[in-house]
Parts: sequence; C-alpha cells; structure tokens
Amino acid sequence: MTKRLQLRRVLALTLVVCAAFAGLGYRLVDLQVFRHDELAKLAQDNTQREFWQAPRRGDILDAHGNLLATSVPVKTVCADPSLIGNQQAVVAHALAPLLQMSEAELYPKLFPRVSKNEKGETVTNNLHYVRLQKNVTEETWQRIQLAMSQLSFGVDEKKLPKTGRAFLNDLRQSAIFADPDQMRVYPNGSLAAQVVGFSGVEDLKLDGRPVSQISGRDGIELALNSALGGVAGWRVTETDRQQHELVALRDEDVQPHDGLNVVLTIDAAVQHILETSLADAMQKHTPASITGIVMRPGTGEILAMATLPNYDPNKPNTISPATRNRVITDVVEPGSTFKIVVVSGALNDGVVRLNDQFDCEQGHFAYAGRVLHDHEPFGMLTTEGIITKSSNIGAAKIGIKLGQDKLYDYASDFGFGQRTGVLLPGEVGGILHPVKDWTKVSVAQIPMGQGVAVTRLQMLMAMAALANDGWLMRPMLVSCLEDRDGNVVQKYEPQRVRQVVGDSADKEMIEALKTVVSADGTAAGAAMKDYTVAGKTGTAQKVENGVYVHGKYIASFIGFFPADNPQLCISIVMDEPKEGYYGGQVCGPVFRDVAERCASYLNIPPDQTLPLVANSGNPH
Amino acid sequence: MAGNRKSQSAAIRFGPALKAAFLCLLIAGSAIGYVWQKNEIYRLSQQIRQGELRLKQMADGNEKLRLKLADLRSPLMLDQRVRELNLGLAPAQPMQVWRLPEPSAAPPENSHSTRQLAARSADVLLTQ
Repeated sequence: MTKRLQLRRVLALTLVVCAAFAGLGYRLVDLQVFRHDELAKLAQDNTQREFWQAPRRGDILDAHGNLLATSVPVKTVCADPSLIGNQQAVVAHALAPLLQMSEAELYPKLFPRVSKNEKGETVTNNLHYVRLQKNVTEETWQRIQLAMSQLSFGVDEKKLPKTGRAFLNDLRQSAIFADPDQMRVYPNGSLAAQVVGFSGVEDLKLDGRPVSQISGRDGIELALNSALGGVAGWRVTETDRQQHELVALRDEDVQPHDGLNVVLTIDAAVQHILETSLADAMQKHTPASITGIVMRPGTGEILAMATLPNYDPNKPNTISPATRNRVITDVVEPGSTFKIVVVSGALNDGVVRLNDQFDCEQGHFAYAGRVLHDHEPFGMLTTEGIITKSSNIGAAKIGIKLGQDKLYDYASDFGFGQRTGVLLPGEVGGILHPVKDWTKVSVAQIPMGQGVAVTRLQMLMAMAALANDGWLMRPMLVSCLEDRDGNVVQKYEPQRVRQVVGDSADKEMIEALKTVVSADGTAAGAAMKDYTVAGKTGTAQKVENGVYVHGKYIASFIGFFPADNPQLCISIVMDEPKEGYYGGQVCGPVFRDVAERCASYLNIPPDQTLPLVANSGNPH
Repeated sequence: MAGNRKSQSAAIRFGPALKAAFLCLLIAGSAIGYVWQKNEIYRLSQQIRQGELRLKQMADGNEKLRLKLADLRSPLMLDQRVRELNLGLAPAQPMQVWRLPEPSAAPPENSHSTRQLAARSADVLLTQ
C-alpha cells in the first residue's frame, strides 16, 4: 500500500516536472526559434550602438603648401531633455553664456519635444537629442563640462531620496553631451576666395539622429568635393549607462578615409600681389568689377586669379551674386584684344606680312552697309602698325582678306566658343556663332572684337598661346592631390590642346605686340623698366539689352613678359571704370604694377634695361 | 576477478590521485585563465581607449598648430605686420639682384658655388 502511494507520488511529481520542463522547452523554442529575429533585433538595439565616423575633409593648399582651406575639429553640443526634468532654467542659466546664446533662446530647447512623422504618428525622437550649438571649440566644451558638474539646484542633496540623487547625477553627467564635428576654416580669408570657393553644412539623418556633413558649394570646394570629402567609417559597439564606449565589446570598427588634400597651382604671394594691385585700381577707377589672372604661358599654370568685389568664405553673409568668379562666368565682347586672333591667323596663313600696308581710311570705313570707326583717324598703317595703334579698320580689312571661314577656324582654334576646361564650376563657353549665322559685316566686326562673347580666361589663354610658340594650353589650377601624409595620389600635368599658329607667325606676332607698350602704342603705361613686354589693349563698349551703351566700357590689357622668353602672362580687365576707360590707360599701369612685383617675387631675370616710358601715347 | 581487499597494498595509489589533481588543476587553471583573460581584455580596452583619446588630442593639437602656422605664414598677415611694425621691407628690385653665370659642367678648381645675392644698392661689389 505504502509502496503504491509512493509510486503515485513519484509519478505525479515526474509528470509535474515533465510538464514544467515541457513548458520551459516550449518557451525556449518560442524565444529562440519562433521569435528569434524580433528578439535578436531588440536585444541588439538595447546593447549595440552604431557610430558614424566622419572623415576629415581635405585641405586646399597653394603651390608652396600654404593653407587656403582646412578643417578644424569642433564639437556640436547637444542635450538629452529627458534627463533634465524640470531644471531647464538652471541649466540654461549656466550654459547660455558659454554657448553664446541668450537664456530665453536656450531655455525652450531643453524641453522634451514631441513631433509627428510623415504618417502623422506622434514620435519622441527629440526626447533624447536636441542640438544646442554647433562649432563649439574644445576649450569651450571643457568649460561646459565643468559648469555642468558644478550645477547647484538649491537643495540639500544628502536629504534627497536615492532616486532624486541619481536623477541629479545623471543630469550633471549625461544631460549635456557633445558630438565630434569639424568646421571649415579659410586662414587667408578672402585671398583667392573665388578659386577656393566655400562650403556649407548638409544635415543628414542617420538612424534618426542628425549628422552634419561639410560639402562644397563653389570653387575648388565644389569641383573636387568628392576627393576632398573622403569616405565615412563606422563603429558598432556597446556603451555604458553614460554612453561611454565599452571598447572590449567593440564589434565592427571601420576607420574613415580622410579626404585628399588639393594642391593648387595658385601661389598665395602672387595672389596677394594681384589682389592688392586690383584693390588699388578699384579705389582709383571705381569700376563695377575688376579681374586679374596671372599665368605661366608655358604650362598653363594659373598662379593667381582674382575678381573684385570678392568675399570672405569664413563669413557666408559676404557672399552674393556680385562676388562671383567673373573670370569664367561672365562673357563680354573682348574689343581690340581679339585682334590678336585675326592678325596672327592672317600671318600664319601668309595672307598678310608684318610690313604690308593697309589704308585705314582716316577713321571711317563703310562696309556691308555699316560704317566702321577708329578711335582716331589713321592713314596707311602696316600690319604691325594696326596692332600698335589698335586700328579697327585695319583689323577689319585683314579679317576680310583672311575670309570668314578661316577667321572662324582661327577663333575656334584659339578656344573661343568652348570651355577652356579649367577645373572650376560655372565656366561658360562664350559665344562664337557658326559662319552660317554670320551677317555680311561679321567678317569685319569680329576682328575688332565685336559680335563674339568671350570669358576673361579664354582671352588670356589665347594670348598665352602666342607666348607659348603658338601652342594653346589647357589652364591648370590643380597641381596634385595628396593624402594627409603628403604622398601624391594624383598628379596633374600640363596639357597641350593644339598648335594654333606656327613658330614664324608667332614670332612676328610677338614683334607686333611688343610695339603696343612703346611710346607710339596704346599701352605705354604697361611698359616695364627691366623687361620687354608684349601685349594688347582692349576697350569694348558694353552691350545691354542688345544695344551698345554709351559711356559704359570694358577695359582690358593682356600681356606677357619677358617678350622673347615669356615667364608670365597677365590679364587685367575692368568693368565700367571711371577716371578714364581705355584699356591701356586704366589697365596698363595695373598690369605693370602686378608684373613688376611678381617678377621681383619670382626672381625672373630681366631681359634688358629699357628706358622707362612716360604715360603717353594713344591709350586705347 | 577482483582481488581481495586485504591482499591489496595499503599504500596510496598515486595514479588516480594525480589524474584527479591534474583535472582539478586544469579546471582551476582554465577558470583563472578565463578571469585573467577577461581582466586583460578590460585592461587593454582601457588602454586602447586612453590611447585613442590621446591620439585624438594630439591630432587636434596638431591641427591647431597647423592653423596657427598658416596664419603666421599668410601673405596678408605678413604684409600687415610689415606695415604695423614699419619695417620698411620691400622686395628686391631687379637692379638690386646680382646674377652670376651658371657654373659650367666641369667647374675649375678652387671655384666656389655660384649664388644669387641681393645687394642693397647696385654699386655694392660682391667678393667671394
């Protein structure tokens, strides 16, 4: 009897235990098999954190390694409003002066905010993350941490219950935190601003958390944005209660690839020389704008490129459409500087020789129903004299002699009507109509720089081609890309585009261009003391709404030196100058100033000692 | 057939005892090793964290110094300082630069290397 009772009890117990194990087994299978995916994700979300590791944006350097743009590490200060409770006023009072905000501005940000998503559902994403201030320096962040750790709430904390003390501890330690960030800085301010460009901050969302990324908006910053930007990394890890990483539990760690440094051909000192000379000219002639470019004709390397008015990329409020890089974005009728195209083309084809005589009709020449004028009456002029005196009628006659097809071919070969390919955004190709769209007078007008629209850079490239044995080069603005250790990743080499004119025609053209800065020429003020200069002036009437506007001119001078071994080619262009408007008169002296200072800085050997010519002659 | 207990030796049987001791040591060693390893992982992770923080601090400091150097080398800054300090500095004019001919491929004995020198005025004579 006793044995049977014992047996029953054992069986009952066994059944209970088995049932319990079966229940546990079912629970185990349910958790580990049926709900595995759901629970695994939940567990992962509870423990793991994924951090985005921003790459450092590369620097922009000048040819000698001077910093033109760089990134400095800063902090973005954030708050977790859920940890602040009702102590917003105390926190705002302590932090407002450090964050350079008013308490009234900071106070509302410290409250938990509930927002609605696109489905209209209430979400509390902002409960734990509110961005308070960007671009906070490390020193300021340390002061913020100190201020938070010393917060006083006006209560005896020893008398508070355990939960109250824990709340205040959490508030001090974790309510305010900082995300690493970077800020773009331009140490030279406005120097080469339009070339370097500027950048902005893009806000992205990563796992519902805002992440900011610097991206280029103009200039090299935009043109080489992907190379400068680098590639982001990430880290999957776990954190403790204070959000400190537990390195031992780090799962994935992919380091970011920092952006490449861009080394420009720009020389900061030459750029400074150019900009200061342009600023002086701006003060003297108060033009609407003034541009300048300094280039090595043999390689196409741009040593300086400036447009005034300009801006300081550190101060975004100084950026406006008026401060655009007019060297590549604006097209104008070139005026007399375009005569180099027709004359060099005619010399190259043997259509004219340097000492051929042309009747310049005493300043009035009727052709195809239009009367062409010179700025002063000329009689017989040689081809060289046409360049020296900048005779429109002489150039028109050479153009007629060359023929419209050839004229178009040479203009096209010199690069007009197409982009130069400079590594800057916003470049336009100018206007060079095909021959079928020309009027009868076009063949006479285009040689004097009317009926075509060019950029300042195109015109400089054409002149630089003459300084380079007739070889047109592609303008070079970037020398190389290098990594943070200075290893060259990509090297840019000078590129020849084509030979536009042959050697002999080129030499003849240079001889003619040398006379422009002589006492008889139109740019005596551009002559240098120790160097032979070759160049050409231009004075073009501005076109507004399809008609020439009286009293508004584009004045220019483009030249190179030493004429027989050109080292630098310089272009100066003024838009609507006052106190004179002829290219030789207003731009010639600026050219000379820039050229002499650059020659001194670059230690260019003088080719001869010329008597300094006074500012006389015909300033066209 | 099992032997008679009485006929067995009273001496301790070292084989099984050693085996048991070895097993105990193995288990204890594994446990201690595991704890030691965990401690090492923790210690090294702390070191890594400290190292990373130090590296970041140094990189940040380096950035600041680079920026400072860039400021000091800036042509704008140099120009401004020259004017502020009224140093009267100006680039040498071409006439102030004496250019000596480039040395030939096989320089004569006792010749000194050619240098470019700037003199304050054109009539200063250079002596080698």
